[in-house]
Amino acid sequence: MTALAWLDGTPGVNPRAPIARAHPVAKLAAALLFSLGLVLSVDVVSAGLCLALELVALPWCGLSPGALWHRAWVVLVAAVPAGVATALFGASDTPMESGLAITLRVMAIALPGVVLLATTDPTDLADALAQKLRLPARFVLSALAAMRLFGVLAEEWSALTMARRARGIGGGGPVSRLRDLAGRLFALLVLAIRRGAVLATTMESRGFGTDRPRTWARPSRYRLADAVLVLVAVMMVVVSVGVAVRLGTWNPLWR
Amino acid sequence: MVAGQPVAVVARGWGWRYATRHAWAVRGLDLDVAAGERVLLLGASGSGKSTLLAGLAGLLDRGTGADAGTGEEEGRLLLDGVPARAARNGAIASGQARTGLLLQDPLSQTVSARCGDDVAFGLENHAVPPTEIWPRVEAALQGVGFPYGLRHPTSRLSGGERQRLALAGVLALRPGLLLLDEPTSMLDPDGARLLREQVDRVVAATGATCLIVEHRIDLWTDLIDRVVVLGAGAGVVADTSPAALLGEDAQVSAGLGIWLPTVSGASARPPRATEDGPVLLAARDLAVRRAPAAPVAVQGIDLEVIGGRTLCVVGPNGSGKTSLALALAGLLAPSAGSVRAGAALDPPGHRAEPHRWHARDLVRRIGTVFQEPQHQFVASTCADELAVGPRRIGLAEAEVQARVSELLGRLRLAHLARANPFTLSGGEQRRLSVATVLATRPRVIVVDEPTFGQDPGTWAELVDLLGQERASGCGIVAVTHDETLVQALADDVLRLGRAARPDPVSERAVIVR
Amino acid sequence: MSTSRMPETPVLRPAHYAAIGLSVLAGLVVWVIGLPSSGSVFDTRLADLTLPAALVVALAGISLVGAVSAHSRWRVVEIVLAAVLGVAGGLFLWVVAQSWELVTRPLSFYPPATAVLAGLWLLPGVLGGLVLRRPGAAVFVELVAGVVEMALGNQWGFSTAWYGLLEGLGAEFVLAVLLYRRFGLPAALLTGAGTGVVLGLLDITFYYPAFSAASKSAYVLLAIASGAVIAGAGGWALTRGLARAGALAPLASGRSAERV
Repeated sequence: MTALAWLDGTPGVNPRAPIARAHPVAKLAAALLFSLGLVLSVDVVSAGLCLALELVALPWCGLSPGALWHRAWVVLVAAVPAGVATALFGASDTPMESGLAITLRVMAIALPGVVLLATTDPTDLADALAQKLRLPARFVLSALAAMRLFGVLAEEWSALTMARRARGIGGGGPVSRLRDLAGRLFALLVLAIRRGAVLATTMESRGFGTDRPRTWARPSRYRLADAVLVLVAVMMVVVSVGVAVRLGTWNPLWR
Repeated sequence: MVAGQPVAVVARGWGWRYATRHAWAVRGLDLDVAAGERVLLLGASGSGKSTLLAGLAGLLDRGTGADAGTGEEEGRLLLDGVPARAARNGAIASGQARTGLLLQDPLSQTVSARCGDDVAFGLENHAVPPTEIWPRVEAALQGVGFPYGLRHPTSRLSGGERQRLALAGVLALRPGLLLLDEPTSMLDPDGARLLREQVDRVVAATGATCLIVEHRIDLWTDLIDRVVVLGAGAGVVADTSPAALLGEDAQVSAGLGIWLPTVSGASARPPRATEDGPVLLAARDLAVRRAPAAPVAVQGIDLEVIGGRTLCVVGPNGSGKTSLALALAGLLAPSAGSVRAGAALDPPGHRAEPHRWHARDLVRRIGTVFQEPQHQFVASTCADELAVGPRRIGLAEAEVQARVSELLGRLRLAHLARANPFTLSGGEQRRLSVATVLATRPRVIVVDEPTFGQDPGTWAELVDLLGQERASGCGIVAVTHDETLVQALADDVLRLGRAARPDPVSERAVIVR
Repeated sequence: MSTSRMPETPVLRPAHYAAIGLSVLAGLVVWVIGLPSSGSVFDTRLADLTLPAALVVALAGISLVGAVSAHSRWRVVEIVLAAVLGVAGGLFLWVVAQSWELVTRPLSFYPPATAVLAGLWLLPGVLGGLVLRRPGAAVFVELVAGVVEMALGNQWGFSTAWYGLLEGLGAEFVLAVLLYRRFGLPAALLTGAGTGVVLGLLDITFYYPAFSAASKSAYVLLAIASGAVIAGAGGWALTRGLARAGALAPLASGRSAERV
């Protein structure tokens, strides 16, 4: 599946760009800050200002315009209908404004996540989560191995499709097509699970799975630039929320 | 760190039963393997060879106290006097691995996305200090002659390269006991030979004790000192030297589930049809791509599939054999040239090209057996699986049931009629996949690597079966690496990827790229 | 060695029963005393929420007992298979996310109606809980699915991870209340409903805060129903299909109590 080509590195990403080089935990923290700061209120000012600041910072992320569009078009496509739904059916006094606010907020929250994950190699992410955030290594590494396993299942999918045609299954109305698709997906899942069981044996045979401490071949280290990134993210959120409060448009959930 | 010392193995009345089975996988095993000895483990399917290797690797967990584990154990299995599971835990604690295990499926043995990380994985688990990890990784990769660098993505490796990478991962741990569970059975002959050479180098360099499970022993006879044969639930049945075993006749060895180099395909030739049938499929200047954006896999092919004759397509990995077979079977559209069905195949409508046919029309005329049987299963019981094809072509239910019973009997699957196809053993799945193709009585049968990873019993059955179909007028196209199959079955041979030369099997000169 | 019971059914000791009793008692106490009448949340007065609050307290206690009694060390094969389910779920959710706008367009005449398909988002977690049958399975699988979906690129960004975590906890809560001993269809339906509650509450807080109270209630109710049907019944059916295909042989859910 081409989507899983992410595992081998997204094309169009410059890994030496300042933000792309940052530690995965710093990037996660930044994305988290944006989502927390903005989710608390529905208003045009905080969301719009934050989005504008993010766009200003975009060139430092090292994503080519093509790669950015490739990852972020979904955000745009989904943000607009959410806003439209709110504008049409919402129960607020200023429906248009609420709708616009929702649209801007969706984009402002989603964009950092998209950018930050596109610039992060999954192995580095797993290393960071296990070494720095102390998430249990067995779970993090198994998740990484499972992702790698799925990356090679694309050929299986085309084989499954051809094999079914060879069995006489195919064509027909939408209902039978849907049923065939479900059957194929199920078969792929079964194959993936069986491979997963063998993978577990392989990993265990190389010493995986005990609770004894392990070492790391790729030590994950923080640098000053990571602190700077988090600080900048904090400032962006504070500025956006602060301006909104100042202008009186901030509209928290709990009111 | 010093390389691991070769490990001596002792088994005294050892047995293992999985929690989900009545029958003991292994029982009453008494075995002594000296340090540095190289042993070939043989036995029919189900004799517990894989279980023994898993036990030696310390992967079988009898459970302690409240934790139920995966089964029960009896007797003792010792590595240098230490029980196997305790040896594994001790190895991880001390950072020096005792055993290394290599399995059959290349895809499930790659752990990481980059080659260097994959080899480093085992070292990380054994708490090797980071400064030592990368030098050992590089030494291991060199030790198996791995052609790529540390950051090469593992998604781009072939099956043989993955096995070598897995071997490097094992080598980096410097184990004293090397356990190989059919490592070459899913590789093509070139890959298998390469892996064998690397194992040779590793064993020579480390002097490790070696236990190998394999069906085809011709590759390994030079390496091993001793042959041990296991019987199902009966422990060691025979314990000889390679020379003595090679003297056994084909009957005995097939009964033991092993291939001997002396069994030649020529002796297994099934009877041929008395005369050639009509042309069923004709390819003209055919070129095929695996996917629209992929490079051309094979081009300029002219051939005919004739009733009552078998065409074997052979060639090294990557020469486009499977793509060609899929194009002939109507599953891949040609990127240039054409595949046309002859009148004898009764093309539906007026379309002569199989890839344009509706799936229902295709299954009645051309049957395809895929390399991986599990790709073809669509039903939840074997009987339903066999009924899928006949039902799709619109036969009456009574006729469908008649065909199902006939095939279940013919392929000895009657006792599995209610079982789920995914739960069958490898050989049974292969027989089932062939049976499903025969259910619609197609006149052309395309098989892709039918004998891949199969033991001699299934091999002989498949040859018989294909021979019978051929004798009744079917045209068969077989894609295979297996030279003995070619000798047994081929009337015509198409060799891809090499210079043209006249073929000894038939008078027809054979064209290549 | 006794094999008459399933090897991994949790055992309840007297201390566990005592803790369950205490939780029920605590719930009764809350109900009798009642919540303060000032203050409100979700547009409802606190005092009106006394009964639900008491139930939550009692059930929370029971779920803790369930989680503790069923806790045991995960085996590597269980972690890896859970991860496989998580990644598969993530791919599935990604496809759902991509086609979400298209699929919910016919429902946009009545916005709360999009909750009818909410169960799709909840399927991985419920499936994980039913297949692995241990504390933390639903959370792990739903979280991995959420992270994979997010990594592949979706329109909700980082909040996907939060949602995954909380939805997984919702499923976990129900399974824990059942003390990890029940995994049949009724249990599956309840689990799906439980995680549907979480999804409903999350959505009306963060995505539809501007809806009227009636719309919000409708949304939550539809989310619960969808969770029960799509995630609960669907997850149960899928688990059975996988078990019959022999894919779950290394796990407890793939084994019958009998030896074959």
